Amino acid sequence: MRYSMDEVLETAVEAGHILLESGAEIFRVEETMERISRYFGVDKSHKEFFVLANGLFATGTTERGHFAKVKQSRVQGARLSKVVAINQLSREIERGKYTLPQVRQELERIKNLPEPPKYLSILAAGMGSAGFCCMFGGDAADCAVSFLAGLILYAFVVFVSAPRMSNISGNLLGGAIVTVVCLLCQRLGFGHDLSHMIIGGIIPLVPGVAFTNGIRDIADGDYISGAVRLLDALLVFLCIAVGVGVVFTVYRHISGGVIL
Amino acid sequence: MTLFIHFLAAVVGTVAFALIFDVPPRFYLLCGLIGGVGFFLVELLMDLGLSQTEATFLATMLVTLSSRVCAVWRRCPATVFLISGIIPLVPGAGVYWTAYYLVMGDTSEALTRGFAAIRVAVAIVLGIVLMLEIPNRLFIRKKSA
Repeated sequence: MRYSMDEVLETAVEAGHILLESGAEIFRVEETMERISRYFGVDKSHKEFFVLANGLFATGTTERGHFAKVKQSRVQGARLSKVVAINQLSREIERGKYTLPQVRQELERIKNLPEPPKYLSILAAGMGSAGFCCMFGGDAADCAVSFLAGLILYAFVVFVSAPRMSNISGNLLGGAIVTVVCLLCQRLGFGHDLSHMIIGGIIPLVPGVAFTNGIRDIADGDYISGAVRLLDALLVFLCIAVGVGVVFTVYRHISGGVIL
Repeated sequence: MTLFIHFLAAVVGTVAFALIFDVPPRFYLLCGLIGGVGFFLVELLMDLGLSQTEATFLATMLVTLSSRVCAVWRRCPATVFLISGIIPLVPGAGVYWTAYYLVMGDTSEALTRGFAAIRVAVAIVLGIVLMLEIPNRLFIRKKSA
């Protein structure tokens, strides 16, 4: 069965776009698009894909003339379950299990896979903060404060900063919120080591996906995308540090004394 | 004993991140173990006298390698394990201390901590890149054997 080349390329672009927005490496996006179009009969001489960290371009020569598509993408946060699902899909396509309409249907399903419930992410952030506080040497009371700080921080991320703030102000405020919560708790007599509490608390902000993918992209030779992602990671780190630092400075002026 | 508690904490921390990154639940345990073992190795090697940079480099290699093995075994992208498993090695504490000493006016200590964090980050980069160089077919043969 032969499909119209426009339709094939359209499907490949859709798969690539979902991958890109879910936090996949550039290499994987290109390879998946390549595989889908090859399997459904559009060979190399008829198309060209170009993928960057924040958008993808596809052009082709088809029966009906020219195909061209540009898709912008904004990475809102990792959705690795989508990456896994599309990876699975592309393997099964190669084994001949799907017709093109079925692939489109499956892509539509993957695109709408539900996020983990918000309360669960917030709880996970708390657990993560407590875990990291313990790893860096905090005792049980420190971990409890970190847990609280992680919860409050992530509630802020989920409800305020992710939907409506820029990366810069979101992470800056995030770092500040954690520091304020930990300082307050310490003043009220909960927790002992302020540093461990804050380190645990800010951990949910760490840009793990941008950092790791940036490294992988550069290793694959995708320098532009890799550099963009590493810059993003560096910026987030800096903002967290500034957020913590600003609260410390203000606190020093208010209390007039030393921290710790 | 402390090492063991820290290992457990790292497992919990990594699983928490796996959830935040929306990793499918069937991979939580493996992610957690990879993250936990990576952090355990860093602490063990530092106890044996290696610097944090060296220890992180070796641990990153282990994390990347086991991510790739698990990826072949469980038939899913290595990214899933790698992104979660690297988190305990990322110098989050270094960032904090840099900010702290800057605010306290101790610039030289801030610089020391900042460069230490950068060295650790470079160690992670090198560890990942080196282990990604191993061709894929070696892993596949390992599985069928």
